[in-house]
Amino acid sequence: MTPSTGSGTPPAAGPAPGGLATAVIEANALTKVYPGGVTALGGLTVNFAPGVTGLIGANGAGKSTLIKILLGLVEPTSGTAVVLGHDSVTGGEQIRRLVGYMPEHDCLPPDVSATEFVTHMGRMSGLPATAARERAAEALRHVGLHEERYRQIGTYSTGMKQRVKLAQALGGDPRLLLLDEPTNGLDPAGRNAMLELIERIGLEFGISIVVASHLLGEIERICDRLVAIEGGRLLRADTIDSFTRASQTLLIEVEEGLAALHDELVRRGLRPTAYQRSLLVPIGGDGTYDAVRDTVADLGLPLSRMEQRRHQVEELFRDPGAAGSAFADPAREAADVR
Amino acid sequence: MTVIEIKNVSRWYGNVVAVNDITMDIGPGVTGLLGPNGAGKSTILHMIAGFLAPSRGTLTVHPVLGQPVPTWQNPDIYRSLGLVPERDSVYAFLTGEEFVRSTAKLHKLASTGAATRQALEMTDMAYAADRKISTYSKGMRQRIKVAAALVHDPEILLLDEPFNGMDPRQRIHMMELLSKLGAEGRTILFSSHILEEVERLSGTIQVMVAGRLAASGDFREIRRLMTSRPHVFNVRSSDDRALAALLVGRPYTTAVELTGKGLQVRTSDFGAFCGQIAVLTRDHEIALRELLPTDESLESVFGYLISSQGS
Amino acid sequence: MSADTSIPTTGGRPGPAGSVIHDLGYRRYDGPRLGRAQIVRALAWHSFRAAFGFGRGAKAKIIPLVALVALCLPAVVNAFAMSKGQPRVVDYDTYTPALRDLVMTVFVAVQAPELVSRDIRSRVLPLYFARPIKTLDYPLAKYLAFTGACLVMLEVPLLLLYGGSIANVHGGAAVWAQTRALIPGLLVGLMWALVLAAISLFLASLTGRRAFATGAVAIFFLLTFTLAEILLQVEGQNSGPQTAAVKGGPGGGPVMVHPLLYGPSMADKVSGLFSPFTLLEGVRMWLGGTNPADNVPAPGAFGVVDALVLVTITGLCLYGLAARYRKARLA
Repeated sequence: MTPSTGSGTPPAAGPAPGGLATAVIEANALTKVYPGGVTALGGLTVNFAPGVTGLIGANGAGKSTLIKILLGLVEPTSGTAVVLGHDSVTGGEQIRRLVGYMPEHDCLPPDVSATEFVTHMGRMSGLPATAARERAAEALRHVGLHEERYRQIGTYSTGMKQRVKLAQALGGDPRLLLLDEPTNGLDPAGRNAMLELIERIGLEFGISIVVASHLLGEIERICDRLVAIEGGRLLRADTIDSFTRASQTLLIEVEEGLAALHDELVRRGLRPTAYQRSLLVPIGGDGTYDAVRDTVADLGLPLSRMEQRRHQVEELFRDPGAAGSAFADPAREAADVR
Repeated sequence: MTVIEIKNVSRWYGNVVAVNDITMDIGPGVTGLLGPNGAGKSTILHMIAGFLAPSRGTLTVHPVLGQPVPTWQNPDIYRSLGLVPERDSVYAFLTGEEFVRSTAKLHKLASTGAATRQALEMTDMAYAADRKISTYSKGMRQRIKVAAALVHDPEILLLDEPFNGMDPRQRIHMMELLSKLGAEGRTILFSSHILEEVERLSGTIQVMVAGRLAASGDFREIRRLMTSRPHVFNVRSSDDRALAALLVGRPYTTAVELTGKGLQVRTSDFGAFCGQIAVLTRDHEIALRELLPTDESLESVFGYLISSQGS
Repeated sequence: MSADTSIPTTGGRPGPAGSVIHDLGYRRYDGPRLGRAQIVRALAWHSFRAAFGFGRGAKAKIIPLVALVALCLPAVVNAFAMSKGQPRVVDYDTYTPALRDLVMTVFVAVQAPELVSRDIRSRVLPLYFARPIKTLDYPLAKYLAFTGACLVMLEVPLLLLYGGSIANVHGGAAVWAQTRALIPGLLVGLMWALVLAAISLFLASLTGRRAFATGAVAIFFLLTFTLAEILLQVEGQNSGPQTAAVKGGPGGGPVMVHPLLYGPSMADKVSGLFSPFTLLEGVRMWLGGTNPADNVPAPGAFGVVDALVLVTITGLCLYGLAARYRKARLA
């Protein structure tokens, strides 16, 4: 797997770097218990910094409840949520003025064109008629819909429909985008295109984005930070880089002669262990790299991979104590996303 | 050893050809059936499971014990085969235990209780077996479906998009379960359009594009077979520029680019490059820090297959 | 298929030869943002247009426009008759009851789902509620829009009637007489619009399937009307022989009434409670309308009950409509 490039440059528009950036979302002991006893959120405390943040792990009740609370549509049982400086209970309307939401499910009427729909939604966001029309056209251009925008949405492919959903969230000039599973139903090419688009929005448009996804690869790719929620509580919140930091192990792959390489490395005192179709060697210092290189060269073996292993976000979800887990004791307390 | 034999199978609906002349052999272990939406994966799975007849060709199941049997109109295959369909096909008002037990009864198993217990334990659902399925999360529903498909201890397990909508922890559990079942010698065939999932789980993949079989085997070997595409490597060393100069002088190098973070090397001869890189760097005292084939991911391979087959 | 924001720009400043690459990057919006009231107005206007099939294509306009034309026919016929010297044949406040009942039933049954069921079916509601409006604003806008649409359906024929009559009478006094007769008719039309819109929107909001919604609304109005009529018939037959005959029973024939009661029996009046149309008729007559039409007996003082029931039903439907969307917002 190619290494993640994770963090991009901070958004052009936004709080000045240096010093604490103001969190775009602050949740404090956020709890929601539904009648019937279902606890969707049980004391969630976490801050979302500006930039692109991945939200993962909160399937089912937790995630949708969190989104509704953040949009000011549902009151928490206890605790508070502050979005872009507004309290979710008292300032719901202001929040909804500043936030663009892209739901996970199908939500587009089939018998209107994308232009008409995004324009109408712009008016529903409070834009005057002309501005709504203009911003709709711009938003559709930014998401990459061209002549097809004049056709009815019912004729669109899934990829195009996802773009329309994104366009209606952009039309109202949001400060924050909440994207719920934006690559849902897309094939690899479509997924790629959507991720590039989101990356671009985060980097160039100066809009903070929260991407809820259950695909770790996606999150590692486009997000600067990650908030992992489990059982209605915070599991971990940190930068992607901290999740994917390097470990002290070197991974080596050769196209043939793996056993011979193993034995020779042992002979030279490097303590290799087998791992799937490659070898892992603990890094004792810079000399380890040279020793490995020399061994491979001396044996005349075709070297096809040599990399310092990185941890993966996935390890967070492996059971504590599992082999290779870097998170034997996941922190349960609140963690500010730095 | 072939467990599922598919020979020249096609399936059409009027003018729509869902599956177009597919021949593949599936053996024990975990095999991933891969392809974009609408490629025909579900159709093939349903034909293997005997729910659909092929318009042409044959699908045959070779159980370890017993005779090879065609899949269509042959209830015997259900002795050795379990299917976990994509749709939510559970009776939500039953408890997990009741649901699995009812499937056991349908299979006319000798001791439904023991089989049910074992299936529930295998899928780690014993703790929730007494709750109604309507109270289950999505991941739990998937696991109970798997339990019901396993209750008769089948040799073959077919799963249609089993990871749909699961969160990471549920997905890891399911992958571990399927790995374990595959390691036991069962034949596991699962379909997915999410490469991340397939890459982790299966050694062998079968890639379908627009109803045709585009490639099968191990995805890295498949990549090696794509000789018309230059391989791309990312290299980091103690002296990138010097290494670049050296590489440019070699016949197997078609291009070298100095990116900010190292070198990107395109080579037309994968074998020659790999064979030479260690020697080259050693002989010129350049420390090698990283060597990564960039497009060996399943995603790249898949992308190439789609684009080349689509062009 | 990505936008071309990768083209380097000079920030819009012209180069040495005067050429320039403009920055087509994303732009913020600095203009005015409208408040809730204007958003509601925009949604209401959008829905009002949808009630007549505008914004949907030609097929969606057929039923509403045919219905409107059908309702206008009596006015046209009247104008024709008056031009031949006859007096006005159609009353303003009753218009042509049977036609109006039928056409309005069809109109609200087919068009109410266009306003509310479509949005439920396409699951677009979360997008609305994620906007700076209150939950109540959505049903409010829909109600305003549909009341307006029903008003058009009901008042345009009346205005046509008026226009046709004016054209055929002479003298200020005659015109004034027509005008005086028109006003109550318009008010009755308003009453109808408020009630029918509330009931049909509420029923339609219960399902996302337009066919079901249309069926539910149509069946509701037809069944209740039939029920009221049947009860009236039954009553008429059950009265004993010591009663006096009073005109205005079902079918225009005599209904047997106890001589001590002025007007129809209590049972007759109660039967009028069972259908919105009969309720509307009852309130109309109670408020001083013209002769009973549509086989509904004049309620007399009982009209208060009619009015109360009508208001209650309308109120309940509006409450139900609001509650429906409160629930939908959380879904």
